[in-house]
Order: sequence, then C-alpha cells, then structure tokens
Amino acid sequence: MSDATRIEDYLRALARALRSLPERDRDDIVAEIRAHLEHRAGEGRLDAAIKSLGGPDNCARTFIEEIKIQTAFADGGPAKTFGALLALASRRVTAAAGLFVSLVFFLLAAGFAFTALAEIVTPDLAGFWVGPETGSIMIGTIEPPSVPPAPGEPPAPREIMGRWLILFAAGMAVLFFVIGQWLSRFFIRLMMRRKSPSAI
Amino acid sequence: MQVNLQYQPAMDVEIWKSQLRKGAAELAVLALLDAGARSGIGLLDALSDRPAIGLSDGSIYPLLNRLEREGRIAGRWETPHGGGRGQKIYSLTADGASALRSMRGAWIGFRNELTAIVGERR
Repeated sequence: MSDATRIEDYLRALARALRSLPERDRDDIVAEIRAHLEHRAGEGRLDAAIKSLGGPDNCARTFIEEIKIQTAFADGGPAKTFGALLALASRRVTAAAGLFVSLVFFLLAAGFAFTALAEIVTPDLAGFWVGPETGSIMIGTIEPPSVPPAPGEPPAPREIMGRWLILFAAGMAVLFFVIGQWLSRFFIRLMMRRKSPSAI
Repeated sequence: MQVNLQYQPAMDVEIWKSQLRKGAAELAVLALLDAGARSGIGLLDALSDRPAIGLSDGSIYPLLNRLEREGRIAGRWETPHGGGRGQKIYSLTADGASALRSMRGAWIGFRNELTAIVGERR
C-alpha cells in the first residue's frame, strides 16, 4: 500500500472518529494531521509517525476530551458543562471498576481469613460443609442444628476438611489478597497510561 | 492489549515521569514559541534531542489545539514561497507571553527549591 493511500485511510478514519465535533474544528484537526503525516512520509518516517499518533480512534479521543473540557470552562453553559463532566466521568469509570473488582477480592480474602481464625477459635462452627443430597458446598461458619433431622427431612450438611481448613482458608486469604493488590496496581496503571501531556 | 500483572518498580518510575511531564510540556512549548513561531513539526524537531520532555507526535497536536483555544497561542496556515505542503505555524499571543512569564517564575522557584532538597547528583 502506498504512503498516500495509507495517509488517506488514516485521515478518513480520523474524520469519522471526530464526527461529534463541529465541521470547522474537525477539518482543522484533519488538515494539521495530514500536513504532519505528509511531512513525515517525505522524510521516510511515516510508520513511526502513525505509531506515535496511535490509532485514529485514540488520536481523535485525545482531541475530543481536550476540546470538551476547554469549551466547558470557556462557555460555562449547562449542556457543555455536563458534557465535559461526562467526558471526565468516563475516565473515572476505569477507577470505579478497579475499585469494585479489587474490593471483591479483598473482601474474599477477609472472609477466608475470618474462616481460618474461626476454625482455630470455634472448630465446631467453622468448616467446609457439603450437603449430602444437593452436593452444595459452603465454606465458613454455620450454626449446627440443635436436634438431629427427623426421618424424611434432608440430612444435615457434612464437614469434610477438619483442621486442614485452617491451612486452606489461610492460603486462599493470601491468594485473594495478592490478586486484589495486583488488580489495584493494574487499574492504576491503566488510569495513568494516557498519552496527552495536558490531561487533567 | 497485553497485560502484565507483575509488579515492576521501573514501570512505576515511568508513571511518575509521565506525571512530571504533564505541566512541563506546556511550559516547553510556550518557551519555544517565545523564541520564534514554529509549526508542530518544527516544535517536535526542536525537542527531538530532548526525550525527557516527553512530547511526541501523538501528544503535541492536542496540546497545541488546547493552547490555541485558550488564546495563549495563535495558529495560521502558511504555504512555502516556492509552493509545496502548507503548514500551520503557531506563535505566542500577548496572553501566552504573560502566562509564560508567570510559569517561568514559578518553574525557576520550584526547580531551585527541589534541587536544594534533592541535590544534583545522578
């Protein structure tokens, strides 16, 4: 594919991704990126230039976010301010998702740590319980029935792990804690990995 | 997208560096335009041997677009005298010059105080 065709393909995709902007702004951005790519192609550096700009969608998104936020500050109209707030919130969705996912793992870690502790303190109440008929399993603490089940009633769940539960639950607590910590760091890196030097 | 969950101290330094560059890039662009009008390519070429500033093809145009909207710089399309490819040439406005003076003063104070704390040994 020739350089000219690659540039035209890139600019067409960029213009499409910028369609939410007024025509004048869109044309100005596309013209400037065209001048940039044609200049780099003349130097034989088109591949590096396209790589540095990122995909057309990514390139357009950086412009759109900057423009929405700047316009909201300049004009202050409710619709524009709300739009800018939405643009900012979309970045924060990553943070909210990260917080939620990490929290789930940290809570699981806390639950297993509590179970390990319960197995040490009150071994009769904590266990890895299996329902003999349903096959359902439950890890944690339960209140055992005070009287044995009457004939015809389903049998009480059976504890299958004994004192090994301490090791198992402690291991699971450490595992979920480490995963939660990894995920927290991963989402923070996702938030930080922005190309624009002028990002808020 | 490739995801690496391994904890990497070196990568955390990269994140810190990208935070450090955010305000610096704007000051670098305004200071370069104070020395003379330039295109986006001209700015990138002037910064090509200064990778620590961290301005790339992908980051400079949104920054120029914002600075132009804020009225700190003004852009005009120019075609070379002998014909050829047109370029958008940016120059500093009076507002931009005023912002640059304030930012330069703030930067020098910040740099001096931080250097006094951190030292200059690499």
